[in-house]
Amino acid sequence: MEKGTLLEELRSLIIKTLKLEGILAADIDPAAPLFGGGLGLDSIDALELVVALEKTYGIRIPDEDVGKEAFASVDALADYILRNIP
Amino acid sequence: MSIPVALVTGGTKGIGKEIARSFSKKGMRVYLNFSSDRDAAAAARRELHAETVQADVSDQEQVSAMIDAIAQKEGRLDILVNNAGIIRDGLLMLMPAKNWHRVMEVNLNSVFFCSKAALRPMVGNRWGRIINIISPSALMGRAGQTNYAAAKGGVLSFTRSLAREVARYNITVNAVSPGVIATELTRDMEDKVRREFISMIPAGRFGTPEEVARAVFFFASDEAGYITGEYLSVDGGLT
Repeated sequence: MEKGTLLEELRSLIIKTLKLEGILAADIDPAAPLFGGGLGLDSIDALELVVALEKTYGIRIPDEDVGKEAFASVDALADYILRNIP
Repeated sequence: MSIPVALVTGGTKGIGKEIARSFSKKGMRVYLNFSSDRDAAAAARRELHAETVQADVSDQEQVSAMIDAIAQKEGRLDILVNNAGIIRDGLLMLMPAKNWHRVMEVNLNSVFFCSKAALRPMVGNRWGRIINIISPSALMGRAGQTNYAAAKGGVLSFTRSLAREVARYNITVNAVSPGVIATELTRDMEDKVRREFISMIPAGRFGTPEEVARAVFFFASDEAGYITGEYLSVDGGLT
């Protein structure tokens, strides 16, 4: 999968999964932290995103060590998925 | 709504089996976890028209495999009852370390492993019920049960904390504390011991597994959706 496509997909998935009303894909800065940043998301929101990502891409985010790396930003998340997609 | 799917650990005997029966009677899909007694598992499977799944709940890999398999097959897991438990009673000064560790593994670590694995399907469906079986020992202490009391007290604190983490997802986490319940264990009690126990219970009798199951069933129901991080004693007034 091409990273640019994945980034777009991820931004839509995040908006859909976390029901971010009034936020457009373009509003999500790929380099900004996903949680605890400008989107107003907290670590408990991340649980649902973990489940959605695992379901969609067949990856595993088993614990917070991996989670921290994967959720550093949308860009980091895309890299993580590309590295771990089965 | 689809048929709810429930998993009861230690579900082929005693209180666990009765909890499973209460789910089964309401038409739920019920999975009975067991560790080693295949005969009891086969009997319970036939009696309750349920599925049985073997796993040592103190082993994280076995627990993950068991719960992932259920979630995969059913596409959901709605209710988890952490019921499996053991005792290794003894006075602390003389307690072998292995009896401390084993009681922690089976009674406390198992609750972490099972809940962790079950939360994925529950968060995904934005609905779930986790019910942990605790004990009067956790609430008031009991000589000879420092290990068991510590483990069950840990489960109660775990219950309160996890409840706060997942309430947003319509997942409740509660505990039920059965007092002295008439099971295979109490049947073999000496009369003197039985009388001693009964003298401590204001209700003047042992409880039944059905009475415990009703409390668990309540926490599992839609009606209890706004109750989380709580425990309910079913102990005839003991605590």
